[in-house]
Parts: sequence; C-alpha cells; structure tokens
Amino acid sequence: MINVTDLTKSFGKNEVLKGISTTVEKGEVVALIGPSGSGKSTFLRCLNLLETPTSGTITIDGTAITDPKTDIARVRQRIGMVFQHFHLFPHMTVLDNITFAPTQVKGIPLAEAQARAKELLARVGLSDKADSFPSRLSGGQKQRVAIARSLAMEPDIMLFDEPTSALDPEMVKEVLNVIRGLAGGGMTMLIVTHEMKFAREAADTIYFMDDGRLVERTKPEQFFAKPQSDRAARFLEQVL
Amino acid sequence: MNRKKLLPIFFSLIAAVVLLLGIGPALPSGTAGLSAVSAEGEDAAPAAGEKKKLVMGTSPDYPPYENVDAKNNGEIVGMDIDIAKYITGRLGYELEIASMDFNGLIAALQTGRVDFVMSAMSATDERRQNVDFSDIYYVARNTIVSKKDAPLATLESLSGKRVGAQLGSTQDLFAETIEGAELKKLNKIPDLIQELNSGRIDAAIVEDAVAIEMTSANPGLVMNFLPAESDENGYAIAFPKNSPIVGDFNGILAEMNENGKMDDIVQTWFPDGEEKEARGLNIDFSVLKGYIPFILKGVYVTLLFTLVSALFGLIWGSILSLFKISGIKPLEWFATAYTSVFRGTPLLVQLTLIYYATPQLIHYEIPALMAAGLAFGLNSAAYLSETIRGGIMAVDKGQREAAIALGVPYRKMMVRIIFPQALRNILPALVNECVALLKESSLVSVIGVTELMRRADVVRSIEFRSFEVLLFVAAIYYVLVLILTSFARMLERRLRRSD
Repeated sequence: MINVTDLTKSFGKNEVLKGISTTVEKGEVVALIGPSGSGKSTFLRCLNLLETPTSGTITIDGTAITDPKTDIARVRQRIGMVFQHFHLFPHMTVLDNITFAPTQVKGIPLAEAQARAKELLARVGLSDKADSFPSRLSGGQKQRVAIARSLAMEPDIMLFDEPTSALDPEMVKEVLNVIRGLAGGGMTMLIVTHEMKFAREAADTIYFMDDGRLVERTKPEQFFAKPQSDRAARFLEQVL
Repeated sequence: MNRKKLLPIFFSLIAAVVLLLGIGPALPSGTAGLSAVSAEGEDAAPAAGEKKKLVMGTSPDYPPYENVDAKNNGEIVGMDIDIAKYITGRLGYELEIASMDFNGLIAALQTGRVDFVMSAMSATDERRQNVDFSDIYYVARNTIVSKKDAPLATLESLSGKRVGAQLGSTQDLFAETIEGAELKKLNKIPDLIQELNSGRIDAAIVEDAVAIEMTSANPGLVMNFLPAESDENGYAIAFPKNSPIVGDFNGILAEMNENGKMDDIVQTWFPDGEEKEARGLNIDFSVLKGYIPFILKGVYVTLLFTLVSALFGLIWGSILSLFKISGIKPLEWFATAYTSVFRGTPLLVQLTLIYYATPQLIHYEIPALMAAGLAFGLNSAAYLSETIRGGIMAVDKGQREAAIALGVPYRKMMVRIIFPQALRNILPALVNECVALLKESSLVSVIGVTELMRRADVVRSIEFRSFEVLLFVAAIYYVLVLILTSFARMLERRLRRSD
C-alpha cells in the first residue's frame, strides 16, 4: 500500500533521513521507535508531505505522491494525522472541529457530517462533549477528539506522531485504547511512540530507527525478545 | 498549487499599483503647467454652459459674506451668496454651492471642480497668475483688532508687536507690509480671537465686517479702522483662466451698481449700528443654543466615515499582510514598500493629494467623503497590515499543519482557521486603530467634509467664540469613543467564549 524508496530529508546541512526504503501493507500497524532525534517524526511527516522529501519516492496505492504533478490535497484527504499537541481548532466547538473538514473539503452536507461526527464521538467515548470548546477538555479528551476529527475524513491510513507524549500518565490509557480499537478494525497505521508495552501489543511490525536510518524492521515479539542490532539492544536496555 | 489560488490577489495588486502610480505623477502636475490647467478650464466651461448649472466655491466661515446658517437649515447664506444668486439668476443659470476651505478654492478652480469662486476673495496679483477675476464688487477696510487694555490704533504702533492674520487672506498680504511687526498666520478667524485672548498675539488684522462681529462677540476686544486701500484690494469673483463667462458676470455687476441692487444687498448684510449683546468673559454654554442639532448631525458623518475607513483598512490591510507572508517575492516587496510609503508620509498630505489629484488624473470628481475614506483606509491599511501579520504569525504553527493534514485548501485555512484566531489576538490593537480613526476623522474637515469638527468650526466662525463649541465636540468624541470601546469589549467577550 505504501512504498518508500531511498527517502532522504535534509534541513539545511543537517541530514535527518539518510535513505529509507520500506513497504507497509494494507491493514498493517507499524510502531516506530527509537531514540529522540533519530528521524521518526520526520519520516512520518514526509508520508503526507508536511515535510517535502529531499530525494526518494513515496508511492501510495500506486500513486507517486512525491511527483510534483500529483494533487497533494487529494492524497492528504486519504491520510489522517494525529499530533503530539492535538492542534484542535480552539475557536470551534468539538462538533465543529470534527465536521469542518468533511463539510468544507469534501462538501458533505452539514446534517450528515454532524450525524457522522456524533457516531465518532460515541466511539471515542465523548458523546457529552459535542458542544464544548477544546479549552474545557483534558489532554486525553483533546487527543480523542483529534482522532475523531481525523477519522471524520474517512482516511485509509492514519499517522500518529507521539500521540501520548504530551499527556499526563493517567490519560495515556484512554487514548491508547482508542488507537488499539482502530488497529483491530483493520486501519493501516504508523505510530511514533515511546510506549513499549503498547507497541508490543498493538503493532504488527516494529521499525527501529537510529540516526536517520531504518535499522530494524521486525515482528514485535522477536524485537523485544532479541533485537538484531546492538543499538536496538542498548536502546531497549535504557527504556525497559 | 498555492500560487494559482493567489491569482485574484494579483488583480487587486495590479489595481493598487495603478493607483499608486497614479498618485506619483500628481506631484509635479499639481504645481506646474499653467497651460495645461487653462486648457482644462476651456474644456469645462462650455460643458457647464450646456447643463445650465454653475458650481460656486466658497469657504462659509466668513460672515457676513458667507457662513452656514447653522441655527436654521444649515444652508450657506451671506452677502456673496445673495450677489451670486442674483447674477446667475439673471444669466439663466442654476446655482450650486460647494463648500470648502479657503486655501483650497484656487485649486478647486484650476481642477475644474467649481466654475467660479465668491468668498470675499481679493483680486491680488499673485492670484491673477492662476485665475481670472471679474470687476471688483466690494472694497473692505483693513482693521486692527486688539485687547481693550492694550489698544493699538495705528500701523506705526504695530511695530515690534506680534500681529496675527488669516492665512491666505488679503490682510495676510497687507500684514506682511507692516514694518517691524512679527507676523503669525492662522487658519481661521476664531483662531485669531483665541490667540488675542490668550495674549499670544498683540493685534489681529482683519477686515471691517469681521472686526465688527469679533468685537461685538468679545467685549474685551476693540477695533480701529485703517484708511481704505486702493481698489486693487477689493473683492472680486474668481474664474478659471480664460473662462468665457467673465464678461457676462461683469455686465450684471455693472447693472447692479447702476440700479442700486448692490447697495440693497450690502445694506442687508451690514446693518448700521447693530450691537450684539455683550457676553460675560468666561465660558457660556448658552452660545450653543440653536446649534446643537446642527452639530449633532455631524456625528452621523463622523461615524459613517470611521466605519468605511476602518472596514476598508481592515480588508486591504489583511490582503497586504497576506502578501507579506506569501513567500512570493514581488508581492512581499510591494507590501513592504506600500507600508513604508504610507507610514512614512503625513496623513494630511495623503488626504489632500488624493482629493485634489484624483479629478486631474482620472477625471473623476471624487466626493470629499469618499476621498477621505480612501485616504484614511489606505493609510490605516499600512498600519493594520503589520498588526495582522503579527497576529497571524502568533497563531500556533500546529494549527496550519492540522488544517493542511486534513486537506483544507489554503484560502479556507486562512479565512476559517488562522484569521479568526489572529483576530482574537489583535483585537485590542484593532480597537486602538478604530479609536484613532474616529478622532483623526477631525482632519478631514480640511477638505470640507461636514463632520463634527467642521461643524464646530462653522459655529466658531459665526459666534466668534471657541471654547464652548470645542468643549462640546470634545465631549461628543469622548462619548463616541466610550461607546466604541464597550462594543469592542462585548465583541472580545464573544470571541473569548471558547477559553
């Protein structure tokens, strides 16, 4: 479904991604782990072109999104993204946050979009918050709304950029449960995370990144039992 | 992709460039080219003849020659007006009166805004270089007005004194010939009175009719007539160079002098021995009696003007701020240059240029209120574009990323996501700008827009009293600002309900 070939990304002289190639299958759940500064987030942000790759190609369902002729906005509609700091629109209610893109981008009638938004809110357990403003919500609630907002565009792929890193510990679980639910539903997902337990349980594949390279790409049970590289072993030693 | 969407913005850019280029060449053409101006006069006159309507320019702050009848319907009345009505009536024209500042009258003739000027204007040699004059219809005597406790009666006594005169008036020219006097030029007669009363000048040179009114309204002042000057200082009707109607006017003037009509009119406006009731020295708000409805009508004009220029400034300022963050170099340069020019030159200069240059450049008779709205809008946009840019930059970068990730197009993202948040950030600054606009609107009285300040000036010129009127309009401005501020507070509360 997603094909990445020789992807590099530099910010000025600083080469953050040093040639990444991989394939993600439909329905596959990938957990990206690795030390900070290893390029996990940059890799994720390249997949919906929030960062423009310096070289290499990314193909989604046969469409080369790195080709300048491709309509990026259409591609982005198929890719949902959830950020570490939620980025809800603070001047809109929860319901308006969720219906904004479907009505404004896809032209779905408001009533239909609202009905769908309410279903999504029920799914993330926030039916009672439809008319609240984001400032009234806890971090965990905000992140669940952000997930619902992305899902409202009915994407084929979901990208999560450290979705629980900005949360108080007691709120991590409610968010992870929602993501776990999505994984069970067959969504293709890439998740940058520091939650090792979650990565082990929910992911189909672990990508271990270090210094701009995809060092290891294995099943979680194998990765956590016996990592192939020294660097991964050292990393696991530090975080577990 | 994003560049295509900026296409409509390009069009407004082009329009703005055209406007800016248009103002540029106005600078030389405003001062030079007598031949071009006179050619224009020739064009305008026959056209005016066809429509059988003549527009007369006058500065209605000089009773009894011309002033606004503020106590009644606000019409312009006076001796000059009666003479003009008589002449145009006899020649079969319809008369339309255009009110403007005395200093702008000659420019109005040259730009064809008016067909002739009657405003107690003396036919001086300087003026003759730019306009044509009719025969003299009235000769006024120069008069020294001074304080009762330090009276000055003769020209000789003025040596070494500070002497005031109205800028651009005949007395201004006359005062320059007084030996040893230090001359101070002021815009309006009421300003002269204030300067006299506060002791900043020792005497004012005005003409007889004005002196009579000044002294009767201000018992602390006395007047001394000077011997009548030669005929060359008499009042005459001014026309554009080579205007074909001068001869017709002269014919009727001669007829009026013969049949006694002129004397009748002069008698109506210069009644013998009339003495106004002397008032107390201090502030007396009963002066305002009868003028209040007239002044209050200015509130509507002031508010309309503020609203139009604020809206225009906000929209154009938003577009400029988008230029500045567009990442497209020519747009960025344009917006930066625009801001630099409009912030770096005085508003009053911009206003005057736009008002007088537009008719000459694009042959559009821009109404004073529109010229004022345009000038203030263009100026305020320069300031607002920086404020708005700051507001946009202050919106969290993540907002943009979230919108992009959802596939929201650039324009919708700016309008629906970024702007509302930026607006909330800059609301206090916007309110400041509106308050400033509201108060600065008093500047537009110079081009004759009859807003609050202009109306106050009118009343000052009739009553020859200043403090009462000025305090009254100051209070009105203050109340307007209070109302505006409380509206803004309501709006801010509404915008902050999401906090």
